[in-house]
Amino acid sequence: MIDISRVQKELQDCEKDRDSSGIRVCPKSDNLTRLTGTIPGPIGTPYEGGTFQIDITIPEGYPFEPPKMQFSTKVWHPNISSQSGAICLDVLKDQWSPALTLKTALVSVQALLSAPEPKDPQDAVVAEQYMKNYQVFVSTARYWTQTFAKNSSLEDKVKRLVEMGFGDAQVRSAIESSGGDDNVALEKLCSG
Amino acid sequence: MDDYLSGEEEDDYYYTSDQESLEGLDHDQSNLQPLSSSGNTAKVITKESLLAAQREDLRRVMELLTLKEHHARTLLIHHRWDVEKLFAVLVEKGKDYLFSGAGLTLVEDDPTFSPSSPMMMTCDICVEDVATHHMTRMDCGHCFCNNCWAAHFTVKITEGQSKRIRCMAYKCNAICDEDVVRSLVSETQPDLADKFDRFLIESYIEDNKMVKWCPSTPHCGNAIRVEDDELCEVECSCGFQFCFSCSYQAHSPCSCSMWELWRKKCHDESETVNWITVHTKPCPKCFKPVEKNGGCNLVTCICGQSFCWLCGGATGRDHTWSSISGHSCGRYQEDKEKQLERAKRDLYRYMHYHNRYKAHIDSSKLEDRLSDTILEKVSILEKRQLQLRDFSWVTSGLHRLFRSRRVLSYSYPFAFYMFGEELFKDEMSAEEREIKQNLFEDQQQQLEVNVEKLSKFLEEPFDQFADDKVTQIRIQVINLSVAVDTLCKTMYECIDNDLLGSLQLGIHNIAPYRTNGIERASDFISSREAAGEKCQPSNSGWNSEDTSCSPRKRPRKEGIYRNSQTTLLDLNLPADVIERK
Repeated sequence: MIDISRVQKELQDCEKDRDSSGIRVCPKSDNLTRLTGTIPGPIGTPYEGGTFQIDITIPEGYPFEPPKMQFSTKVWHPNISSQSGAICLDVLKDQWSPALTLKTALVSVQALLSAPEPKDPQDAVVAEQYMKNYQVFVSTARYWTQTFAKNSSLEDKVKRLVEMGFGDAQVRSAIESSGGDDNVALEKLCSG
Repeated sequence: MDDYLSGEEEDDYYYTSDQESLEGLDHDQSNLQPLSSSGNTAKVITKESLLAAQREDLRRVMELLTLKEHHARTLLIHHRWDVEKLFAVLVEKGKDYLFSGAGLTLVEDDPTFSPSSPMMMTCDICVEDVATHHMTRMDCGHCFCNNCWAAHFTVKITEGQSKRIRCMAYKCNAICDEDVVRSLVSETQPDLADKFDRFLIESYIEDNKMVKWCPSTPHCGNAIRVEDDELCEVECSCGFQFCFSCSYQAHSPCSCSMWELWRKKCHDESETVNWITVHTKPCPKCFKPVEKNGGCNLVTCICGQSFCWLCGGATGRDHTWSSISGHSCGRYQEDKEKQLERAKRDLYRYMHYHNRYKAHIDSSKLEDRLSDTILEKVSILEKRQLQLRDFSWVTSGLHRLFRSRRVLSYSYPFAFYMFGEELFKDEMSAEEREIKQNLFEDQQQQLEVNVEKLSKFLEEPFDQFADDKVTQIRIQVINLSVAVDTLCKTMYECIDNDLLGSLQLGIHNIAPYRTNGIERASDFISSREAAGEKCQPSNSGWNSEDTSCSPRKRPRKEGIYRNSQTTLLDLNLPADVIERK
């Protein structure tokens, strides 16, 4: 029942203005049910400079049911779980409309990064810190951005790990199997 | 025969056997009249009449606002079928506010969009080019292709959101036109369209505080609609009597929350559990509760394990009266003893009230069976050629007995909570509580005495008695019926005004007392239908019926209790008593 043609059109549409929006959606699987969205951290926020990856699952009833979205990049934000990356956002739940698209949903997620709603938290610890100790929150969020969402290309990551003394092919497969996260890849390389 | 009158002197409250008292009944009845005639507004809504009932409210809104039916329904669902409230919003805030609040958007037909001219348009949902005649524009102006609409409706109906399916456009609050939903869904999924219709129709019950499903199990399929007051007790046409506010069995003069507590208490026998915790200790080896029946503090369980009663710890067997060898647990005991005293007292208190409550419930069950034998007696009497020909006093007395027995049994849980500490600990001082309790218990006792007397008279083998003796019994039964009715009424008034009425917390309310017993909901007849035909003799007709038709013709083969309306008798009877004199 998934409307494949609509998803395809959405992907094309997104590709057209990826330079201006910075938002990308790439398929993870051939059947277009699993995708990866990428959004840049909004300027003027602790997330600035980071690139955030979001796992997207297209449900059977799409676009009449909302797509499932979850951060795969670790984020420190009151409405995003610091553990699982689950997002608390109305348009992904009851306010979803079939007229919305993956791109508009990602824009909403991006907007959520700029405008947290600590009163309706997904992560209580972060929300409490946001309300009681805003400065600490900002520096934690910035630190997380630097650590987990730093905008480095694949080649940069490979180079960094190779410099640490691992073999090129080994590094590439480790990065690939850890979803592009060079920190996870490093852990794998060290343990394996 | 004199035996029946022996109680007379000690109980001056309710009767004297002379004729004067019968004359007085006329007066009594006129007092009671407003009570019995107030109401009779509850209606049974069956599957068949549900549509008509709903349509009545729809018509009022449609006529006032010149709307189509589905628009009126959208407004009414939003306002939970409260027509008065809807009209109030209209008057106060205006039509636009009313409409937009309910997600109702009415736009004039857009001439640029005509489905007759074949044109291609892109549907924003599936991003396909679709011929305009395969697209549908909602009242809010948003236009998408029929396939997308149908898919959207399918998801929403399956999710159980039939009553308020919003337009697909982002942030559009408009509710989709039910005709469009129905026609688009039924094309491919007729089952789902039926489901949609059912949800819409049942919204009249689900979203309406004046209508409730009859809580009978197995469910009779009916719903009951009340007119003015949700605080009442009704009888569904299936015979089930329930409290409209809480949907449990009728329980006045207990308030709903008292009844809820009592039900739970009786159910989990919490007092027994309480007693076990206080009086026993689990054996440290087999964990069975062990009760100490005397002796020293070294207790031996049937499993052979010895343990210290004071601390519950396992010990050896060597001990003296005051100590156990190798074991010491000096313990401050006062606390424990207080707890024990308290639990004991609470348990006895509960047992007192529960025993009486149960006794009356049991009696009423026995009396229920008795009604058959009493009816038999009546038919025997009728065959005998007695002076007295009217035996409606028997059935009336029986009704009165059932009703007052019910009141009496529920008055015990009421008293348990009213004068206990659970609910109103800080509401009354100890003296105040005592005065009120005495006042209430006096009334309760008087009611009880009279109910028992009534029961006794009705159980007499009066079918074998001589003429004059039957006449005597008749007078007793009639007088007692009136007395019992008055006592019930007084008790309700006392509860309403002096007991619950004086409390700070206004959360305890009781359904009003009705002389004629719990209101039987009458069949729903839509006002249009009713206007067409002459007013059917519904419940309101039975008073006149009593006097107009000869009591001998009363259908007596039918069970008296759960029958058609013609057997609903005026319990006060005096009208006919006086007529005969």
